[in-house]
Amino acid sequence: MTDEPPILELRNFRYTYLEGTPKANEAVRDVSFSVRCGERVAIVGPTHSGKSTVVDSFAHLLRLKQGQVFYEGEDVAAPGYDRAALRRKVSIVFQHPDSQLIEDVVGADVAFGPTAAGIPAEETRRRVEESLDALGLPYPDFRLRYVHALSGGQRRRVAIAGVIAMRTPVLVLDEPMAGLDPRGRRELLGLLRRLADDRELTLVVCSTSLGDASLLCDRVVVLSDGRVEMDGPLREVLREADELAALDITLPEPVEGARELRKLFPDLPQDLLTEEELEAELLDRLGVA
Amino acid sequence: MFELQRNVVFGQFVDTGSVIHRIDPRIKLVATFVMLVASFLIDDFLGFAVALALLAVIQIVCRIPVGYFLRGSGFFLGFLVFVLAFQVLFYPGEVPESDYLWRWGILSVSTEGIRAAGILGLRVVFLYYVTTMLLLTTSLVDLTNGLELIFGPLQRLKVPVNELVLVFVIAIKFVPIFIEEVERLARAQTARGVPFDEGGAIKRARRLGRLLVPIFIGGFARADVLTTAMNTRCYRGGRYRTKFRQMNARPSDWLILALVVAWMVIAWLV
Repeated sequence: MTDEPPILELRNFRYTYLEGTPKANEAVRDVSFSVRCGERVAIVGPTHSGKSTVVDSFAHLLRLKQGQVFYEGEDVAAPGYDRAALRRKVSIVFQHPDSQLIEDVVGADVAFGPTAAGIPAEETRRRVEESLDALGLPYPDFRLRYVHALSGGQRRRVAIAGVIAMRTPVLVLDEPMAGLDPRGRRELLGLLRRLADDRELTLVVCSTSLGDASLLCDRVVVLSDGRVEMDGPLREVLREADELAALDITLPEPVEGARELRKLFPDLPQDLLTEEELEAELLDRLGVA
Repeated sequence: MFELQRNVVFGQFVDTGSVIHRIDPRIKLVATFVMLVASFLIDDFLGFAVALALLAVIQIVCRIPVGYFLRGSGFFLGFLVFVLAFQVLFYPGEVPESDYLWRWGILSVSTEGIRAAGILGLRVVFLYYVTTMLLLTTSLVDLTNGLELIFGPLQRLKVPVNELVLVFVIAIKFVPIFIEEVERLARAQTARGVPFDEGGAIKRARRLGRLLVPIFIGGFARADVLTTAMNTRCYRGGRYRTKFRQMNARPSDWLILALVVAWMVIAWLV
């Protein structure tokens, strides 16, 4: 089991946009981490920490150099590596869903990926139906709707459906919750968790907020200024709440609350994650229980 | 495709803080205009040799890497060579029989044709270099203010100078934004299975079509947002606006202008 190469791996990954021009911009300085099959990893960091560049590297959407990015142990930048096949295994949902919606009509757009991959029409139709239903967009209602006429949250779901229809083992989401209202957030979180459970996906979620990521992932990689600051299980990373706050990372509400309450109860444990845990500890201290 | 910006230098601004960057934008604009006029007056190789020497000086002083400039101009220069080849082959002027080097039907190569194409090519390169260099060394704010001040007097004649300058500057400003947009779309569509980084030239060109519709829609949306933003901030024409940064042409700026004028006159007269 442990001999199996990780599904995604970055080794001393560095990336400079427009390298060799006066506009060169060093986005990633030195990032190494790997993701095992079935893991759910959050990549968290402030803006300009290099998150999106890391995401793009997973599907070889950059001018990569050899020896830095690996899929199942294979160097994706090696000459002759089948990039199209890689992109059928690693799907990305980008920050702006509009950029990845290709067709005008919802059904046609979700069908785009499978069709391009040469999947027969009947199977494609089934996948479209299944994917839209899985994202709470009933197929008969949404199949013929115009993409431009949908709300932002719905467009994001269509984008995710289009990617789910590819049945990729790895799903990468870049800021999936950006711009959603609390209810849209909750709904999408529920849908994503169910999807990841049902399909045993390897999940990578990028966010500036640990609040959302903590509900989807069990491991956190913290990036700052193009480097890995922390990497570990969610609870362990959350113990460094002060450091995270210093990096401008939004903490989950219970963690943030506990940080404040520690002024009154200095002995509150460092690894509280949920409201229930925090409540129990507080009641305990107040002697109510 | 993923780093298209590498290949387009036109419309970019690269701040190296050189002497040329710091010249008063009005002086730079006038100097550019003088050079544009001169490029139409100069009519022989010797004249262009003198004029091009000035470009070499500018290139050295401005500290923008030559390699960056050339790579960003590859497409333009390739297109120019293509056009000039036609100019030579279909040269329409009167040519004495002894000047023909090669002839086949209506196609011909003559010394006269090569000379004309050479002058035309130099002229276009000169124009391209001067305008691109103006944009590379002048920020859009400076460019706007400079143009407004130069053409300001025309406002008395009811010419909408401010609006025209604004439209011109926004158009230029949108070039790099559009390029970024194309990059973003190309990446996202590649991720979904449209391989922008594979296939021959024709296949690649055909895939570009897929980008056009979203780019246009995005462009209109952007223009709409910009208009709303300007309206909500009560933007109105330039006559009523005052500037936070006043422009002051220093004596050295005037000296540079005089130098450019003199250099161009010499190039014209030799």
